[in-house]
Amino acid sequence: MTEVPALELRRITKRFGTLVANDAVDFELRRGEIHALLGENGAGKSTLMNVLYGLHQPDEGEILLDGKPVEINSPREAIALGIGMVHQHFMLVPVMTVAENLVLGAEPRSGPLLDYKSAAERVRELSRRYGLAVDPDARVEDLGVGSQQRVEILRALFRGAKVLVLDEPTAVLTAQEAQDLFKVLRGLTEQGTSVVFISHKLNEVLDIADRVTVLRRGEKIDTVPTEGATERSLARLMVGRDVLLRVEKPEHRPGEPLLRVEDLSARDDRGLPAVRGVTFEVRAGEIVGLAGVDANGQSELIETIVGLRKPDAGTVTIDGRDVTHLGPRETLAAGISHIAEDRHRRGLVLEFDLAENIGLRFYRNMAKMGWLSPRKLAAKARGLLREFDVRGGDADTRAGSLSGGNQQKVVIARELNADPKVIIAAQPTRGLDVGAIEFVHRRLVEERDAGRGVLLVSLELEEIRSLSDRVLVMYEGEIVAELPPSSSEEDFGMAMTGGKVEVS
Amino acid sequence: MTPKRAGWAGAALAVLAFFVAVPPLMLRSPVFPVLLGLIAIGCGAWAYARGEKRLGGAAIAGAAFGIAGGVASTMSGEANLERVVVWGALFAATLRYATPLLFGALGGLFSERSGVINIALEGMMLVGAFFGAWGADVTGSWLLGIVIAIVAGALFAAIHAIFSVSLRADQIVSGAALNLLAIGITGYLYVDIYGTAGTPDDLPQVPDISLPIESIPFFGDVFGQLNLLVWLGLIMVPLTWLLVFRTPLGLRLRSAGENPLAAETAGLSVVRVRYLAVMTSGALAALGGAFLSIGFVNSFTQNMTAGRGFIALAALIFGRWRPWGALAATLLFGFGSALAQRLPVFSESGAVLFQALPYVLTLIAVTGVVGRSIPPAALGRPLAKS
Amino acid sequence: MSATPDDELPPDATVAAKLSAYLRGGGIITPLITVVVAFLFGGLVVLATGHNPISTYGAIFDGTGLNWLFPWTSSTEREIAALNLQQTLLRTAPLILAGLAVAFAFRCGLFNIGGQGQYIVGSILALWIGVSFENMPAFLHILLAIIGGALAGAVWAGIAGALKAVAGTNEVISTIMLNWIAIWIGVWLFNRGGPLQNTNPQQQDVPVSDDIVEGAKLPVFWGDPILQGLHIGIFIALAAVLVFWVILHRTVLGYEVRAVGYNPDAAAAAGISVARNYIVVMAICGAFAGLAGVIDVLGWQFRIATNDIRINDVGFTAIAVALLGRNTAIGVVFSALLFGALITGTSVRNLDPTIFEPALATNLTLVIQGLVVLLVSTDLLVVYLWRLRRRRLSSRKAVAA
Repeated sequence: MTEVPALELRRITKRFGTLVANDAVDFELRRGEIHALLGENGAGKSTLMNVLYGLHQPDEGEILLDGKPVEINSPREAIALGIGMVHQHFMLVPVMTVAENLVLGAEPRSGPLLDYKSAAERVRELSRRYGLAVDPDARVEDLGVGSQQRVEILRALFRGAKVLVLDEPTAVLTAQEAQDLFKVLRGLTEQGTSVVFISHKLNEVLDIADRVTVLRRGEKIDTVPTEGATERSLARLMVGRDVLLRVEKPEHRPGEPLLRVEDLSARDDRGLPAVRGVTFEVRAGEIVGLAGVDANGQSELIETIVGLRKPDAGTVTIDGRDVTHLGPRETLAAGISHIAEDRHRRGLVLEFDLAENIGLRFYRNMAKMGWLSPRKLAAKARGLLREFDVRGGDADTRAGSLSGGNQQKVVIARELNADPKVIIAAQPTRGLDVGAIEFVHRRLVEERDAGRGVLLVSLELEEIRSLSDRVLVMYEGEIVAELPPSSSEEDFGMAMTGGKVEVS
Repeated sequence: MTPKRAGWAGAALAVLAFFVAVPPLMLRSPVFPVLLGLIAIGCGAWAYARGEKRLGGAAIAGAAFGIAGGVASTMSGEANLERVVVWGALFAATLRYATPLLFGALGGLFSERSGVINIALEGMMLVGAFFGAWGADVTGSWLLGIVIAIVAGALFAAIHAIFSVSLRADQIVSGAALNLLAIGITGYLYVDIYGTAGTPDDLPQVPDISLPIESIPFFGDVFGQLNLLVWLGLIMVPLTWLLVFRTPLGLRLRSAGENPLAAETAGLSVVRVRYLAVMTSGALAALGGAFLSIGFVNSFTQNMTAGRGFIALAALIFGRWRPWGALAATLLFGFGSALAQRLPVFSESGAVLFQALPYVLTLIAVTGVVGRSIPPAALGRPLAKS
Repeated sequence: MSATPDDELPPDATVAAKLSAYLRGGGIITPLITVVVAFLFGGLVVLATGHNPISTYGAIFDGTGLNWLFPWTSSTEREIAALNLQQTLLRTAPLILAGLAVAFAFRCGLFNIGGQGQYIVGSILALWIGVSFENMPAFLHILLAIIGGALAGAVWAGIAGALKAVAGTNEVISTIMLNWIAIWIGVWLFNRGGPLQNTNPQQQDVPVSDDIVEGAKLPVFWGDPILQGLHIGIFIALAAVLVFWVILHRTVLGYEVRAVGYNPDAAAAAGISVARNYIVVMAICGAFAGLAGVIDVLGWQFRIATNDIRINDVGFTAIAVALLGRNTAIGVVFSALLFGALITGTSVRNLDPTIFEPALATNLTLVIQGLVVLLVSTDLLVVYLWRLRRRRLSSRKAVAA
């Protein structure tokens, strides 16, 4: 087939300061194919597509559409050229309706006013044509995530996209919704649209894509057809070596419950119920995994447990002590540590040096009559930094100048050194490279073996399955299942979408 | 009886508590205001407890004022009361005092709806006040004075746009800087051009519009002789509403303020939208200032806006970034000023203290508003660079 | 997600974080350059309105008394310069205190525009104490006035802090409203018929207060008291600078304040009470600003007239002082000195009206202040220097690799 490819990226290079996000990457998309772009977090997939969409300007390289070189300086130009993108974080205006979002920038008018009726009509028409069911008058913020994504896709199609790029589309979908999406994508390619599918999930890539291009650390490694490829072969390309899909861990012997949550309920920032009657416990010497699709109440649950959110009902007990209505200070003092899911927001003060950051847990104990000595803080920090092998600076280095992995090490060092009974680890390996991930996993298992209780909350099912001793599944604010970690992905998928699972 | 109705009932009773003690009813016993006020508090508390916090709180606060005002009125001389509480004149004055606030608030609406915090409304108003006066003086025409004021305000606001949008400055700090600059520049030019003599006495004035409705009780007093700019301000409210909520331009404006990335990926230039919005806010605020100098007071003095720009901002927040809400808020604050102007009848030295009333009202209003008033989602966040 | 744009600052960084970053990136150079640029623009304004900027700035400088510091000044010039320098330092002292009031708030992520109101409240209470208690020993009298004024300022600012802590009220609006309320309360107090108007039968028409008792006046240690020499208030101000620094860097409170200022979410997650810190910080800021009012009243004003209250703008100048000084102790001191000199140099007493009209010069000062704050709000220069440094670093790394 010597047909001109629908899209071709040649030797695209993009730098951010000293970071080379894309290094002379080649990418070729044939008409009517679904081409997956695979790689770990930070491999450069999103950056490459943002270059295509005009959100970034490449430092080197060129873009060809249907064989003709083009320059794309803004999303406006990308759209005009027929490139549509569905981002991970939706580019929708939550307070506006579906119709308003869709026609933004190309609004139908009646006189000087906005012709809302014809906008809604356009939406219904497109919805029918592509098989994407949406309600034009619904406000986007009231829609479920799957529906919002459908709106995003419609938005791209509305503007005549011939090349559709989807950035990690299934990250927010349940297994069933993902299958629906794949059906839609196949329908689109039959109508002549070409699709780029960015993902780091091997099984999905094998399911939906025709070909796969693997990126690693900004470089293109290879492009292979999915036919004949396996998860293992793809993983090897992604990481460069055989990936341990299981963490070696000794047999665990759970003891007394250290964290007990009973019938806990809480609301989210908008006042809607987010945690609904959750009951579970974490015993000494075990890792309990909390699996679930994003935004099903996990964040609110953690916040309620550590005292950052007021519960409406229920109790939280730490080693027998009722901490339900205590603030974060007392709750932490009761013996719980929290490795926050967003280390830049909750975990660290980037402007503080490492000693002051570590001091966040200990400063009260180290102060005498209100007096706080920086030397004391630094001394304590130095020991910890050495123990956890933190690279990139020492006690007086600003936290913001460390790499993500080292920042996370600082957080973990601090939280573990507080000698907690219970550790809540939320997305502990987000944004980390493989070495750091292995370190974190190893440490968590060590803590478990030392008799602590670990609650691991993660969106990465792999991580949950390889680390946990037992897994709870959270769906729409409730614990809907408890599964052994060896359960199949299908079983997990079913539970995560609220389906019933038979546990053998 | 829903909580909402109870809340409104409480608010109405609060107003009534004050109303019965002043002309035309002028009941002399303090029992009436106190009784009505207590019932109002009861309604407000009931509404508050059942979720209508804002309305309930407003009813309770209003009842407190109503009782205070009502009882104070029963203790004042009837003649004085009759001089102060002339409802027709009071409402006319309310409209006059509200007009600069209204222009400011509507201007702020455009800017903030597009995502740019604007605390420099005060400075933009002052710029408009000066250039309106100077423009009218130099050209001899009030109309050209207004035009010059608008242009000056827009250009001045462009500085805020450049720093906040293109240079990604901290928007509050840059706004504060502009206020300082405005005082300095207008003061400098004022002294340089007019020296100690001040602006001329025969400064061209924006005309009043006389309506032939004097015979109609109350309405004749209120609307019969209002300045052109007062009418313009009132007309701007529905116009703004139409523009922002019913036209494509308004849709784009709001999208820039709610989710600028969404707007960008829809093909809009958020930078351009924000520039236009900020300059519009400057033009409108300047119009409010021009009203002050050539429509109301008939002169310019240094720093004559005296914090009105901030009251306008508070009115905007209190009105939930909506034109009609802003109108209601500015009328409330305007009423406070109008009352404060007439209260000196009661107490000569107290006259000065009453000048603080609008600021106290604003403080209470802004305090009670928080949490419920949701600003545009992207307000104050500079655009990420590529 | 390691895709990082080339600015280190996330778009929603707090003011404290931004200024700290500017400080890291630009050191002392950038504030200096900011000042130079601001003065340049000021000079352009002067030029554009038909005056000579060089002679104007020269005349202003002559009035500041800073030439007293230069060893090559002649002894006759020295005498006049000494008088001028005393004036400059008289202005600098309250600016230091008011500047600390703004800087400390910024360090906690709060924008304290209420310095003016806090200053007024502090000065009123100090005046009242100074006027009453006629037979109190001087030391006690002054101490009482200092405590009273600081307390008054603390309470006034505490209102805004409490409103923010409890109701989340935006402190920009609440402090500005409190400013105006304080101004009107002040005018009312000293107006004709007001409760604190003077009791002198010959001055019943004048809206001014009584004079404070001799014993309440701050002792003058340099210059002639009759010619308004320099009083010990400057030491109070410098002591406050020390207190500021110690609180921030050596106490638990300062640690919490800085944490909240840089990242309120992380601070809350660590168990720090953000709301309580808001109240405490605003109260401390109010105390500083109130203290500024105290030393002005006890140091050289000795009485308050309604006009003083209307035209005083120490609290506003303090904003530029704090921002230029990057919210640091040393920065505030030097910034205050700069603006103190500017105010003295442009005052009616010191500026030769034939070269430049003082009333114009006062407004010019405001323009310069505004420009300083504007330039600080974005600090292009810093970002530019940053990128340069990073490029140099990266090329060095590439060579080493």
